[in-house]
Amino acid sequence: MAPKKTPLADPVKEQPSECPAQAASAEPLAPGKTTTSRRDFLKAGGMLSLSSLMGAGALMAQSDEARAAIEWAEHFQGNYRLMTPKEKAEARARLEKRYSAEYGKKVTVDGTEAQPNVLMGYALNVRKCIGCRRCVKACVAENNQSRGKEAGQNIEWIQVLKMERGEFSKEKMNQGYPEGLGIQVGGNAYSPAGTVLEGQYFYEPAAVPEKDATYMPIACMQCEKPPCVKVCPVRTTYREPDGVVVIDYNWCIGCRMCMGACPYWARRFNLTTPVLPKEEMNPVTHYLGNRPRMRGVVEKCHWCLQRTRQGRYPACVEVCPVGARKFGNLLDPESEVSLILARKNVFRLKADLNTFPKFFYFYD
Amino acid sequence: MKKLASNIMILAFCCGMISSAFSADTICFESRKGSSEVTKRDLKPGLPNVKCSSKTGAVLWWGDPFDGTVPLGDMPLLGNIPPGKAVVKPRAEKLAILPMCAVACHNGVGPTFIPPTLPKDKKPKPLPTMEGLLPDAKNLQHGRGGLWCLDCHHTTQRNKLVNNFGDPVSFDQPQLLCGKCHGDKLRDWRDGIHGKRIGEWASTGKKRWFVCTECHNPHNVQDGARNRGFIQIEPETPPQLPRGMKNARHELLPGVSH
Ligand code: SF4
Repeated sequence: MAPKKTPLADPVKEQPSECPAQAASAEPLAPGKTTTSRRDFLKAGGMLSLSSLMGAGALMAQSDEARAAIEWAEHFQGNYRLMTPKEKAEARARLEKRYSAEYGKKVTVDGTEAQPNVLMGYALNVRKCIGCRRCVKACVAENNQSRGKEAGQNIEWIQVLKMERGEFSKEKMNQGYPEGLGIQVGGNAYSPAGTVLEGQYFYEPAAVPEKDATYMPIACMQCEKPPCVKVCPVRTTYREPDGVVVIDYNWCIGCRMCMGACPYWARRFNLTTPVLPKEEMNPVTHYLGNRPRMRGVVEKCHWCLQRTRQGRYPACVEVCPVGARKFGNLLDPESEVSLILARKNVFRLKADLNTFPKFFYFYD
Repeated sequence: MKKLASNIMILAFCCGMISSAFSADTICFESRKGSSEVTKRDLKPGLPNVKCSSKTGAVLWWGDPFDGTVPLGDMPLLGNIPPGKAVVKPRAEKLAILPMCAVACHNGVGPTFIPPTLPKDKKPKPLPTMEGLLPDAKNLQHGRGGLWCLDCHHTTQRNKLVNNFGDPVSFDQPQLLCGKCHGDKLRDWRDGIHGKRIGEWASTGKKRWFVCTECHNPHNVQDGARNRGFIQIEPETPPQLPRGMKNARHELLPGVSH
């Protein structure tokens, strides 16, 4: 079970560190050792102070005492970025234990930090993309998103937008100017807004690519100046030194400010308890990456941190059947992404917002 | 005699197809249907070699990107890649009729296949046996009528392709042939900008390269029903509709003009 998360319970996390419960995060997790009495004490103390705030049954209901202690400690751990390396390791060990029990297999939670001299970059060839959505599904196969049948239970990080292709034809040469004093918003070259479709996410033809369609996959742009990071009231989302914007899901209070701030519609909210079948769960995880999330937290693309920090391509890069997706180190002039920046026509989505994405679109 | 041989061949080919259809294995395709295929299995308990789409049968995820690969052979201008860092999946063993090519019909010694008696013009002639085995041969769409079989296939060694100098090229290295005309694409492919690679992202890392014919079918690259170089394929399912949205018909109406 995911730790109980209610908006009411969360301010407790912010209590000063003298709070006895806060110390639980530094408590080495050793069930059956001499620490039992102390843990019982903490538990009782916490119960008293919290019983008015959270459902009293939340922790009592745990039949397995060790697991209850894990969730207890997890609930009161600090912001991952501010933890000492020791605390981080303990937090990961706790999660490994909980996930392994929950999913019935050995789950690893990696904590590999950013490597020096690496600035990850991504490039996508919009001319090549055929809109097959394989990247979307590969992402789900890798990143442990919720995949239930009910509305709101199916989370996908990549969206593929189908757009009508603008045409440069002689007949339309003088069309498409805004009427009167209008300013043209939308539409495409030679076709004013209101006559072309604005874009489709739910297209479902028998085969892609369709004629006269352009496909534009959109996910987190890993901005250099991310608006989502600016607005997060608890600073649980932040930019790592290798350029990836990450979320400490445990510290997220689910206020969804970041979702409102993101100009790229990249963030998703776990409105319901995530539905993740045991056999489909990917046991290779990273703390800031694809570890299973809980209800009430925000998640988004993190360039498969669990893979890329180990040197492997992100899942969407590997799956793209047309090779439209490229990934590499922007600081390495020989990397695929650097060569694309040097040779191809490149643009960034909504560059005028000064978010400086590390995700580039290009075309041949 | 020749007829008998070809009939036997067709029979053997069909048997092969039927037996594979009846086995319980899940077979997924990697880039496009009809090209490199993989049989699903466990690399070790809990780690599948591939995860496949239940809708289209496409491979979505590789457990081990280097499973079943061999080193990419020599290629000009690839001196900067350390040995063993570039690997490919051998194509030759996947091409179902290739083993028969050089022995059954096109052994290179039959009277009609010795170069002096090659046809005068380069117009492909209908060869019913060939078309039966390889339906694409009926409707060659490459080079806008300017190409025929032996521009790409070796005259006497039919299990080989042919390079610029008339030398045989393995089916595992089609880039040596394709690059003859598509030099710009070859350069981009060499540098990792065109085409697909899986494995390690560092420029010095080990990668499995996908060769030209794993993604493009050279016999119908110009298929008129699409507008790009890649064959049309079935897309994966669209995203879930948000709570309360009955259908996505609003997307099919033009927006309001401003
Ligand atoms: S897998 Fe590649 S071609 Fe298919 S939708 Fe994604 S980016 Fe486009």
